Amino acid sequence: MSAHDVDEALAGSGQRKIDWARRGMPILASIEARLVASGALGGHRIGISLVLEPKTANLVLALREAGADPSVWAPADCVQEDVVHALRARGIKVFADARASEAADMELARAFLATGPQLLVDDGARIIRLAHREFPDVVRNMIGAAEETTSGVRPLKAMHDAGELHVPVINVNDSRLKFLFDNVYGTGQSCVMTLLDVTNLQLAGRNVLVIGYGWVGKGVALHATAMGARVTVAELDPVKCLQALHDGHRVRSVIDAAPSTDVLFASTGIEGAVTPGHLEAMADQAILCTAGGGNYELPMAYLKTLGPPRKVRAEVEEYTLPNGRRLLLIAGGHCINCAAGEGNPVEIMDLSLSLQACALEELASDGARREAGIHPVSREIENAIATARLNASGASIEPMTPALAQAMARW
Amino acid sequence: MPQHTGASSPLTGLNNEEYLSLVVDGDARIDWVSRYSPVLNGLVRRTLSDGSLKGRKIAVVVHLEAKTAFLALILADAGAEVIVAGSNPRTTVQPVVEALRDRGLVVVADAGGDMNSWERELLAAADHEPEFVIDDGAELTMRIGRHRPELFRRLKGVSEETTTGTARLLAMEAAGKLPFPALTANEARCKHMFDNRYGTGQTTLQAVLRLTNRQIAGATVTIIGYGYVGRGIAEHARRMGADVRIVEIDPVRAVEAHMDGSLVGTAEDMVPGASIILTATGGMRAIGESELRRVDHDAILANAGHHDLEIDVDSLAGMASSQTRTRPRVTTYRVGERDLHVLCGGALVNIAGGSGHPVEIMDLTFSVQGLGAHVLVNAGLAPGVHVLSKELDDSIAAAYLASRGIRLDPGRAEQEDDFQAWIDGMPTA
Repeated sequence: MSAHDVDEALAGSGQRKIDWARRGMPILASIEARLVASGALGGHRIGISLVLEPKTANLVLALREAGADPSVWAPADCVQEDVVHALRARGIKVFADARASEAADMELARAFLATGPQLLVDDGARIIRLAHREFPDVVRNMIGAAEETTSGVRPLKAMHDAGELHVPVINVNDSRLKFLFDNVYGTGQSCVMTLLDVTNLQLAGRNVLVIGYGWVGKGVALHATAMGARVTVAELDPVKCLQALHDGHRVRSVIDAAPSTDVLFASTGIEGAVTPGHLEAMADQAILCTAGGGNYELPMAYLKTLGPPRKVRAEVEEYTLPNGRRLLLIAGGHCINCAAGEGNPVEIMDLSLSLQACALEELASDGARREAGIHPVSREIENAIATARLNASGASIEPMTPALAQAMARW
Repeated sequence: MPQHTGASSPLTGLNNEEYLSLVVDGDARIDWVSRYSPVLNGLVRRTLSDGSLKGRKIAVVVHLEAKTAFLALILADAGAEVIVAGSNPRTTVQPVVEALRDRGLVVVADAGGDMNSWERELLAAADHEPEFVIDDGAELTMRIGRHRPELFRRLKGVSEETTTGTARLLAMEAAGKLPFPALTANEARCKHMFDNRYGTGQTTLQAVLRLTNRQIAGATVTIIGYGYVGRGIAEHARRMGADVRIVEIDPVRAVEAHMDGSLVGTAEDMVPGASIILTATGGMRAIGESELRRVDHDAILANAGHHDLEIDVDSLAGMASSQTRTRPRVTTYRVGERDLHVLCGGALVNIAGGSGHPVEIMDLTFSVQGLGAHVLVNAGLAPGVHVLSKELDDSIAAAYLASRGIRLDPGRAEQEDDFQAWIDGMPTA
């Protein structure tokens, strides 16, 4: 399939999803209007590498409205086919195929980079890394990039420390406007609610074990508690453990908590956080899922040795351990909100994707002046987006007065 | 796994393989329910195994999905002749229907019907001449009364599920038109304290969020009605970060909403500014034409009460210049410059747009219904509306706790109030 084939029926379905999401994205719409008026992104070739679904499609379309020339890549497991066709029908170059093999995904990524993007929105630093390895000319001409996730920031820092990062990258992931909301409320709400949707069960009265008390773990614990669960947190960092205790949760090691756990959420983003020994300590019919990261947090290789699981329900597989106890794995252990639901809520992505649009605007206006390296999102951008969201909610912000400013400066 | 009888489905156009795959799907859904229903599998099965239900004809008319099917199977396993219909044309799940037929139950409902076919299904259920009815909204009971007067006089008992149905039965009793005993399952504490509050509360929000992909934190949610259902929705929404507003006509409940931390006021004041509006009154037209005029652009409207008409979609259709199917189960009405999004056509959103109540909740509710059927068959109740005894209500809660390994202290004599000694010392009037 080329980057231009369009299936009309799929395009219609994708466009309806994109239109629905747009209704809940007023901030992105206001940034689009500003970019249209300023022409700041006019004529720029922009590569977008994000999960390809209706909310990110709105970012792509906003950039196109603003006069940019966007193209899109995403790996097969992050692609909604109808959205691909809707974007193609609007004339966007999409290098993605939901059925592509890993090798085919890489070929699509190379074709995507061959368009010579000057600006890049990346997820997991996949494209930035590929460009540095194989497309030195593209890197030389690149104005800059913006990175969406924790898992992309880590390799970028390593590249930078090794003196190998040759473009400026804005670290969108570490903006307060991203992790305080996207990870806590977006992933928290959608992971907990997807579990309820998939199982038709309650969390009220159940023991939920949340492994990892980062922003995602905090969000999962918050929403599970809201649904009536008793939450136990397992975490390596003693300070975060203390925070969990003060948030009203019990704090235990995984092995101590396992026997009384009804539902386990892995939200560490770290490979091997849950071990075969942990699973063997769990009670019969405990439920396993991951929030935020992926099934690498669970001992999938061990589960595979137990023989093929029994499919008990859509997205629910039952494994029987050597000790005779049964464990229920949700959505193959993949991040539950994306694998078995629609991902983050629309309003959350309005914040995260607005940050991306503003990061691109700032990179474009700085041009070659900005040094290679990793840069934070500026406070001005964060404050402007937060203010827009508050205004849309009918909130008002306490104004700063000269007297207050003086009082704060006094010592 | 049960044996398949291979009986063919009345649905046309299904080959044997397609039919069997429906049955297998339905069986799997019912098995999932059984897994999380320790009270039905324990206390209720034990109570019904005394043989008293053998050959009794019982109609089960509740939203026809896996949990209802499991109740029907438990009654059938106890020897009853069960007739199954749905209590709403939009909530019937076909794989479950086929799984029940495959096990030899009489099912007079199919998915994909409308109000007309549903009326026919209810009359078909009546024509099987049930002696007892497990009803939802008193839908079958009312139709038997209206259309099958002979059968109505012969009915031996009704066990009713909802607040709405209870109100109907009480009105029938007050009018002297209730010639049989009716148990209101809804009045059992093991029903309304959990089903209406935790069940509907959780699953209404779940369905709204799933159907819309929207966020609850930071949203303004207006709830019309602060009964158990409204309270449950409010509690779950608030804990997930919503700003909750309540519209209620009962002053005592309004005080409760106020002290629970909600903004309380008239619909006129509480509807504008809300991004999600939910009805939970159990009546009709809680959101009528005048309220609809005040709904914000892009607000989402959904119903958690028994009636499909709590949101007056007929008036809305009249006001709107267009109606669009924006997303699955989302209809967008264009009214002037505003778009109003109605979920599931105003039908019960948690059932029509989700999987209904959580299994554990229905383990309690259907235990009330199952024991209620046993009482109706055996207790010789007089005509009129009755409530399940406190003993049976308590026995359900005790079974629930025991299944989870939770033990309670017995009350000790010295804990009791010493009023008796005082009364003994008073002069006789």
